[in-house]
Amino acid sequence: MLVSYNWLQDFLNLDQDPHDLAEKITRTGVEIADVKHPEEGLKKLVVGKVLDCKGVEGTHLHLTHVDVGEDEPLQIVCGAPNVAAGELVIVALHGARIAGNEKIKKGKIRGMESYGMICGLQEIGFSDSVVPEEFVDGIYVFPEDADVKPGQDVYEALGMDDYILDFDITPNRADTLSMEGSAYEVGAIVDQKPKVEDVFLKEDGPDWTDSLDVKVDEKLAPKFYLRKLTGVKIQPSPLWMQRRLWNAGIRPINNVVDVTNYIMLLTGQPMHAYDAKTFSNGKLEVRLANKGEKLTLLNEKEVDLDPNDIVITDGEKPVMMAGVMGGLNSEITAETTDVILESAIFDPTLVRKAALRHANRTEASSRYEKGVNWDGTEKAINMAALLLRNDADATVDEGIIKATDTKRKPVVVKTTVSYINHVLGTEISAKDMIKIFDRLGFMVEHDGDNIAVHVPNRRWDIAIPADLVEEVGRIYGYDNLKSTQPLLAETHGGYSEKEEMMRRMKAIVEGQGLMEAISYSLTSPEKAVRYTKDPKDLVKVQMPLNSSRSAMRENLMTGLVDAASYNFARKQTQLALFEQGRVYDHDGGTFNEHEHLAALYSGNTFAENWQHLTQKVDFYFVKGQLTNLFTAIGIDLEKVVYKAEGIKGMHPTRTAAIYIDKQYVGMIGMIAHAVTLADKALRGSELYGYEINLDVIIPMLTKGMTATPAPKFPAIERDLSLLVNKDVTNQEVENVIKSNAGKYLTALKVIDVYEGSHIEVGKKSIAYSLTFLNRKDTLTDKVVNNAMDKIRAGLENDLDIKVR
Amino acid sequence: MDLFDKLKELHEQGLEEIKKATDEQTLNKVRVELVGRKGELTKILHSMRDVAPENRREVGQKVNELRDLFNKQLDATKAEIVKAVLVKKLEDEKIDVTLPGCEGHLGSKHPINVILDDLESYFIGMGYKVVQGPEIETDHYCFEMMNLPKDHPARDMQATFYIDSEDLLRTQTSGDQARVLEKHDFSKSPLKMVGPGKVYRRDDDDATHSHQFMQMEGLVVDKNVTMSDLKGTLEMIAKHVFGQDRATRLRPSYFPFTEPSVEMDVSCFNCDGKGCPICKYTGWIEVLGAGMVHPNVLENAGIDSTVYGGFAFGLGLDRFAILKYGIDDIRDFYTNDVRFLKQFRKEEN
Ligand SMILES: [Zn+2]
Repeated sequence: MLVSYNWLQDFLNLDQDPHDLAEKITRTGVEIADVKHPEEGLKKLVVGKVLDCKGVEGTHLHLTHVDVGEDEPLQIVCGAPNVAAGELVIVALHGARIAGNEKIKKGKIRGMESYGMICGLQEIGFSDSVVPEEFVDGIYVFPEDADVKPGQDVYEALGMDDYILDFDITPNRADTLSMEGSAYEVGAIVDQKPKVEDVFLKEDGPDWTDSLDVKVDEKLAPKFYLRKLTGVKIQPSPLWMQRRLWNAGIRPINNVVDVTNYIMLLTGQPMHAYDAKTFSNGKLEVRLANKGEKLTLLNEKEVDLDPNDIVITDGEKPVMMAGVMGGLNSEITAETTDVILESAIFDPTLVRKAALRHANRTEASSRYEKGVNWDGTEKAINMAALLLRNDADATVDEGIIKATDTKRKPVVVKTTVSYINHVLGTEISAKDMIKIFDRLGFMVEHDGDNIAVHVPNRRWDIAIPADLVEEVGRIYGYDNLKSTQPLLAETHGGYSEKEEMMRRMKAIVEGQGLMEAISYSLTSPEKAVRYTKDPKDLVKVQMPLNSSRSAMRENLMTGLVDAASYNFARKQTQLALFEQGRVYDHDGGTFNEHEHLAALYSGNTFAENWQHLTQKVDFYFVKGQLTNLFTAIGIDLEKVVYKAEGIKGMHPTRTAAIYIDKQYVGMIGMIAHAVTLADKALRGSELYGYEINLDVIIPMLTKGMTATPAPKFPAIERDLSLLVNKDVTNQEVENVIKSNAGKYLTALKVIDVYEGSHIEVGKKSIAYSLTFLNRKDTLTDKVVNNAMDKIRAGLENDLDIKVR
Repeated sequence: MDLFDKLKELHEQGLEEIKKATDEQTLNKVRVELVGRKGELTKILHSMRDVAPENRREVGQKVNELRDLFNKQLDATKAEIVKAVLVKKLEDEKIDVTLPGCEGHLGSKHPINVILDDLESYFIGMGYKVVQGPEIETDHYCFEMMNLPKDHPARDMQATFYIDSEDLLRTQTSGDQARVLEKHDFSKSPLKMVGPGKVYRRDDDDATHSHQFMQMEGLVVDKNVTMSDLKGTLEMIAKHVFGQDRATRLRPSYFPFTEPSVEMDVSCFNCDGKGCPICKYTGWIEVLGAGMVHPNVLENAGIDSTVYGGFAFGLGLDRFAILKYGIDDIRDFYTNDVRFLKQFRKEEN
């Protein structure tokens, strides 16, 4: 709501700087988003009277002489189609500054001297949307009632000397969506009682209340008032009203439409005016629309009405979408003579939904949806009739048709002074508190600590004691509250154990040189299960923004591969990324969320350097990093098993599923060629990564540990060089070695793998280093030899391997 | 030639030989020749029987003097040679220390998590528990328990991703409040929690909107928690994040789950309150929303709102990061451009 500072002066005596007032209102009631002073930045704009005006042959230009209150009239060349002798216009003199900080200088146009410029409203800063239709494409011409003289500044006449406060209201403060409401609010803030006047209307026409059969569903419109005016002279509104309208962001149309808008601005009650001819069959009905009914609105859009839209009909067809916008078929036109005025309360939810449904939120609908003052219906309709009587020579017929007239009892909220102080942390006396309520215009019954606060209907946001706490708090001033810390029994802050462990793992991988990424949880249904070993039912959103963000991811890898693609497209191919976050599924009919950790590498293990001390990232590098992570969180590596398995999106022969204690915990491998080939940026690249399920791994971890001393006896190392069939895996060999090595084998390491021309086809050689240690005694060669013999025998028996 | 002449000659020759040696090997040879067991001096001692007895003492003395002299000179020359060798070795080993080092990759925390971690440790220090709730939330917890019944106009403000009529992607972390309130045993201790996490809104992504972002919810409930406590707490948070020299102000606002509701602004750190594009020429920047927990929220969770009360606040972590690091496009947080992420390597805490 754009609130005029000058208009507020009708209700209050304000003497503070409008910016200071705005700051005060912001801190106390409603945020003022902006204070505009329309004349700011403008210079040397005066009223001029066009003395003569003649067309310049062969051009659209006019040569004029304009009296600007100086000794000599100014010669001005003007291109506007509507310039004419006798008009009072806006003149930008030599040296003037108009909108957009543009400077006006005298000059020559087509060889003719021009000593200034005759302006349209847009040229001096008006928004297109508020300029009256007749002046949109030309210069502005002052109406007769403007009472301006040549040479005067134009600002006051056009309302540009005003300050416009933009009330950025929250939904609960719709009471300030009117000048009267704003005046109550500002009055409470500056401690003044606003002068809100009643209406004294003279009805001089006949009683009309029996001439129209009005049927209203009370649930749809609990209050529905109508008045009739005859002999209406349709013409522009007086300038003072136009000024107030355009300063509030509303375009003046004609006196009838303007009055309905003006009353809405003044009281907050949306109004509507129908051409009385609309109801010439003597019927008016308020009902829900029927399926299949259509209505062409004032904005000339035809809408298919929904059975939940409230409509006003002429007994047959809809003529208005209630609370939202009128129909073209009941519009006020230049030919209108008789007018029916409507002032009503409609169901807020139905109006809100209708406005949303038809993408047509209006000044009226936005007020209805937030609520309007139930006590303002009659005043609004009478005030509108009064203004039309004055400005449109209308005759007001006697009586109001009150088709429905549900009364709303003002709320009485009972609470205590001490409760309010308790919540605020203040020590405001009962006397001061009652004074605050008095500033707000709330009557209080007071008995010791107990208070009963009578809340007028204009403040329908207040219903419970907590609402009164807010009123007292804000008028007392949040600036005046103390700043304290809660005085409570001691509490122990911290993370959950699971969270602690996740944080530790993140710290480890970060230390390994990985950068943390955060990706979107929503992805495409296909990507959501790519890189997932056993996809579960997807979590899909209704009405996604687009199909590539329609399903919740079941793995993190997809986000990291997207990130890789984004970076590769920008020539960033050295990547080491990780993400720790949730994946989601709908397995077994419940929504499940699991914490995962994933990493993705590409490029080199070290930054490229002049010593060439780096190598390309490969499966084993990534596996080594993961092994370090497992070691660092205390996972027994003996229990970790890698099995070559196929996983969608992963390289079929370079991918392993990872098991700990036979439980699937994640996967590691290379991103499939099928994926990288399909992505222009990633084509030909090798990406390796892993993803592990922390919800499975974390419960396996133990907290705390006992240290064992460093060994006191020397260990014995032996090497073992084997020639094995190519399809025998390291895992298989290690299993045999371990099961035959006896209890003193403490470490088993692969020290070399060779496949190639120096050995027979179909074979590979693997060399191991074995470490034996007896923690309690010195190991003898005999014991170790014995173990080695057993290992050799085992390898020969189980895997047919010859030791070289 | 008598021995004295011989000694004299040896004296001169010996010193000359020692002087000529430039490596340890030659020097050792000289040492053997001069002072070795079969060296010149020994030879002279052996020829003592040819010396007149009255001169023997003098010859013996001279030989010893000469041996001492040679040894001294040999040691000195050896030291010189060793030194020269070392100097040569060091010269050979010289490297260009200005060549670059071999860098590994440096990890980094995501900027939003830098902010989050900092806030979490701050709140933990003040006795808050960090609580995590589900992102796939029910209408019941996300809205109804939070005093947002169906058809509440405020629901339009939050475009929601629904999964079905009852389940949705949470639009706010407030659902965590309801879940914790239901479970907490107030007879044992006051409730102090923060709940960080991802939230989702049905907004098209652009520079200032993201369909996914991070929030942190805070909640303190007990018998004597006041709005002054809320003010003090919020001021501490704002100053902790944005600097001790920031001015703050509370403005009345509206949230369905708090009453009274407020928003906090801090004085613009770009223009210090004078007005600039970042603060839209107001001098203030909105940083958070808060309020006293609405009685309905407490009652919905089975808590007697006439006995217990407290405050809640909501922090937008993306917004904090945007303000703190001068970021002008929220999408930068989610495209994971390493050139962007890299900068936050220094922001570890
Ligand atoms: Zn600023």
